[in-house]
Amino acid sequence: VKYWEDFTVGEVIELGSCAITETEILAFARKYDPQPFHTDPEAARRSIFGGLIASGWHTCALLMRLSVETSRREDAAATGSPGLDSCRSRSKPIGFIRRRNDLANQHGEVVVSVVGITMYQRRPAAAA
Amino acid sequence: VKYFDDVQVGDVMRFGRYEVTREEIVEYARQFDPQPFHLDEEAAKASMFGGLIASGWHTGAMFIRMVVEHMTPVHATSGAMGFDDLKWLRPVRAGDVLSVESEIREKIESRSRPDRGTVKIESRIVNQRGEVVMSLVSLVIYLRR
Repeated sequence: VKYWEDFTVGEVIELGSCAITETEILAFARKYDPQPFHTDPEAARRSIFGGLIASGWHTCALLMRLSVETSRREDAAATGSPGLDSCRSRSKPIGFIRRRNDLANQHGEVVVSVVGITMYQRRPAAAA
Repeated sequence: VKYFDDVQVGDVMRFGRYEVTREEIVEYARQFDPQPFHLDEEAAKASMFGGLIASGWHTGAMFIRMVVEHMTPVHATSGAMGFDDLKWLRPVRAGDVLSVESEIREKIESRSRPDRGTVKIESRIVNQRGEVVMSLVSLVIYLRR
């Protein structure tokens, strides 16, 4: 069993992947998030999204399932959650990188260190 | 219809009524959150929750259903960027009846898109005893007049 003590800060855990079908998008949206761009492919084409998109709550649910499956695979002693700090939809062609910049002097001594967030453009689909 | 310009910081809205059933708790959990305390009454009794509880993401889904039924039709919104500070404060159980209290917390004009703005809305999902079971601050995109 993987307990709290067995996790280390900086550890990266791969959750795997899952496919999402149009049928699933429509079924979830009709039950929980019936906005036209989630429930009607034709209306979605005319919306600002240019086509059918999954409810963000559906995407989060899929993330949850991947987490649960991973926990089970790792036999982790997970037992619920009190909440989340933040959640953002990332449909825009922009990515964020949090990085530390160290400025050193001629002796190799770091004189200032800043941690900041920089936005970068994503590689266009055609050039992928 | 209320646009960005019409909503005011401090405005409070109360809406929705969602009856939580055992069947729906289990159905959602099978699809998205198959942990024993969401799936099986016996296993849930033995857990720290003392009985079957809904997945927190299921409570989120019930929340958005109430928003889409009652708020979206009368507010000129265009989706949301996400949310901050989501808290699952109390368990949601079969037989609970949920509703929503939403309060406008902040309005942020878009610098790049003069036709829209972001509105921070704090929502509390409340059960039939008036207990808050979940809260979050949504970043909702509103169109301008």
